Amino acid sequence: MKHLLKLGVLTLAALAAAPAQAGYPEKGPVTFVVPYGPGGGFDTIVRTFAPEVEKVLGATIVPKNIPGASGTRGGQSVARAEADGYTIGIYNVPGLNVAGTLGRDIGFNLDDVTWIANLAESKYAVAVAKDSPVTSLKDLCGLGRPIKLSDTGKDSTSSIASVIAFNQIGCEINNITGYSGSNDTMIAVMRGEVDATLKPISSLAKYTDSGDLRLIATLTETSVVEGVPSTTELGFPELAKLGLNRVVGGPPNMPADVVETLSGAFKAAAESSTIQEWGGSTGTVIKYLDAEQTDSMMTGVSDFYLQYKELLE
Amino acid sequence: MGFEALLQALADIAGGGGIIYFLSGIVLGLCFGVIPGLGGTTALALLIPVTYGMVPLDAMYLAGGVMGSTAFGGSISAILLNTPGTAPNAATTFDGYPLARQGKAGLAIGAAACASSMGGVIGLLTLILFIPIAKAIVLSFGPAEFFLLTILGLTAIAVSVRGKMLRGLIAGAVGLTLAFVGSDMILGDLRFTGGLNYLWDGVPLVPTLTGMFAISQMIELALKGGSVATVGDKDVAAMKITGVGEGVLAVFRHWPVLLRGSVIGTLIGAIPGLGGTVASFLAYSSTVQTDKHPETYGKGNIRGVIAPESANNAKDGGSLIPTVAFGIPGSAETAIFLGILVLHGMDPGPMILLQHEGEIYGLIVAITLASVGASLLGLAISRFLVLITRIDVGIVAPVVIAVSLTGVYVLEGRMADVLLTMIMGLVGYLMIRFDYPRLTLVIALVLGETAERSFHQVQQISDGHALQFILGRPVATILLLATLMTFLLPVARKLLEKRKVLRN
Repeated sequence: MKHLLKLGVLTLAALAAAPAQAGYPEKGPVTFVVPYGPGGGFDTIVRTFAPEVEKVLGATIVPKNIPGASGTRGGQSVARAEADGYTIGIYNVPGLNVAGTLGRDIGFNLDDVTWIANLAESKYAVAVAKDSPVTSLKDLCGLGRPIKLSDTGKDSTSSIASVIAFNQIGCEINNITGYSGSNDTMIAVMRGEVDATLKPISSLAKYTDSGDLRLIATLTETSVVEGVPSTTELGFPELAKLGLNRVVGGPPNMPADVVETLSGAFKAAAESSTIQEWGGSTGTVIKYLDAEQTDSMMTGVSDFYLQYKELLE
Repeated sequence: MGFEALLQALADIAGGGGIIYFLSGIVLGLCFGVIPGLGGTTALALLIPVTYGMVPLDAMYLAGGVMGSTAFGGSISAILLNTPGTAPNAATTFDGYPLARQGKAGLAIGAAACASSMGGVIGLLTLILFIPIAKAIVLSFGPAEFFLLTILGLTAIAVSVRGKMLRGLIAGAVGLTLAFVGSDMILGDLRFTGGLNYLWDGVPLVPTLTGMFAISQMIELALKGGSVATVGDKDVAAMKITGVGEGVLAVFRHWPVLLRGSVIGTLIGAIPGLGGTVASFLAYSSTVQTDKHPETYGKGNIRGVIAPESANNAKDGGSLIPTVAFGIPGSAETAIFLGILVLHGMDPGPMILLQHEGEIYGLIVAITLASVGASLLGLAISRFLVLITRIDVGIVAPVVIAVSLTGVYVLEGRMADVLLTMIMGLVGYLMIRFDYPRLTLVIALVLGETAERSFHQVQQISDGHALQFILGRPVATILLLATLMTFLLPVARKLLEKRKVLRN
């Protein structure tokens, strides 16, 4: 309750201070579109960032869940909104880039989105069950049959990463999809129905901490988990480029000063102790990039996946 | 651990300021339960932003209050209006509504109230008993077991059609076909979407259910006129509202039904993705199948109210089994509950019970107390609730239609859902007119997707040797036998009867 009061007072104070500055965002609340349901990873990061961004921005942020159609419905509604900075959204990168690369209709043009900031980044790792005889990528490839992996859907970001990664490593996979969430894919490894799974390190962490799963490699440049080699060290430097980003954007052609105000607010939020602590306790890697850096990152991501167009089709 | 933590949670909820959140949760849950189209998931989803400023434990009390009370709220509309307030209450309409029409709504509500609170308590006790082996339970249910459970659920269709086998099969086949609309979960291909973006994720369940049950029922009532409790030409106002206490006692008199319902509810609740509709439906069908007089069901048998309602509340305890084992949700509601934990900077995982014991037990206690509290509250006002059955449907129908269409819109805020609800309402009405069972279609729609997906997964995992794979897993083998039993039991019973007749 106390927190609620504090929050309310802060918001009120911020609102009261707002008219003193001219222009954006004095016209009222900013709608922050989450293209997935409440309680998920994208929803959580938006709701965690919102109060911190509010403090700096001086306007209320209203998270709005518009789930459906693999996260494209939310993106569509942002694309249709007015480019005045009062509607922004969070985007699944590289999920949407890959869909675009493969020529799938996502209902809006990813190239036209005005990029505002990158908030967080996840890198992947390959995990096996605790009692699995497999101790390295080499063991995994030497099973004498296609490696069975688990994933939610064929177009999920981790599934795409698996296809590219094991193609680079040079072993055949049979990716069993249809699990109802990333947790279920990890439980499938524990049940022993699949050999391994490739998932974000932060999601795997809780199961490796409890000893149910064991990492055999991280898809990073340097070793980030003690005793677990990185793929770059193992001789596959391309794999460290695979990752999952949580990126904020808005409707096409947003005014530059509005974008600058928003990125500034996200920067301050990302650097705040609340967000840093939250990132630490949940294993989320907070990585802020400003509008320009995010824009060039997006081009890079699209180009990267374009090379694998044939493989993914 | 265990009972100690439980007592601590009890003391906390009774002593602290959390009781306010808990009570608001109950009232909110009851309201969301009563209104068709709105349910526990919607209530929790709308509450997420509110909980942000709260202490985690208070958030748990609020969530628990909502989760424990929606089920009973939904049974009220199921009994009084033949319109399940939430999807799992659909099975309650079979015998609850006939009771209401006979002027025995009090009896049915009393039984539903008592069965849901007892179900909640039994579910909790089962959960605590299972906590030490929670991991083993979750790990023994894989795609093979999911597949067989859905098949077991589909065989129960035979019960829901009550003698109209051909019509039932047609409705079931339509439901399965609707279940296959949308992107294929395994291959990602779009099927039967007709180019509509709206159908990418399949035919949405809540609008379909609301249309099929609420809207169609209101059309039916409105066209018939009068009020719900019309018995022949008798003046309904002269009938007395009695039997609430009798209904409560009936639950204890039929304790095996209560126990079976609760156990089925807990087990189905423990399996992610199946949920309350399947739990209450399986509890109902197994009660009918094992009864010596199956023909008395559907005409106002009180056991037909006790079974689904006890299962419906027991499933909340069960749905926490995967949560305490691995920090994964067992139901849509627990998924949101875990979301609330993440929002508060906690990272639920397999160590959830060690790291967040207070929150988990707080939620368990809140859910259980809420299912008891909601029932008490419901009983207290049941006298007035029953009056709904005497109001002219000219007033009831427009109110229910307006409120449920609003509820459907609130869920995701898209107009297409409202349109689908109306279309399904019309389809549902035609099904009533031409005597096709609606629940059969809905059960097939709920189970079809899981059945198809898990079968496909079993095929891939077993490299095409599905049967061998199934027979190698003990739980799967038991489920396979249970499915065969549901087919053979009625046949065996008929043969036995014939022999008896011959002997006489």
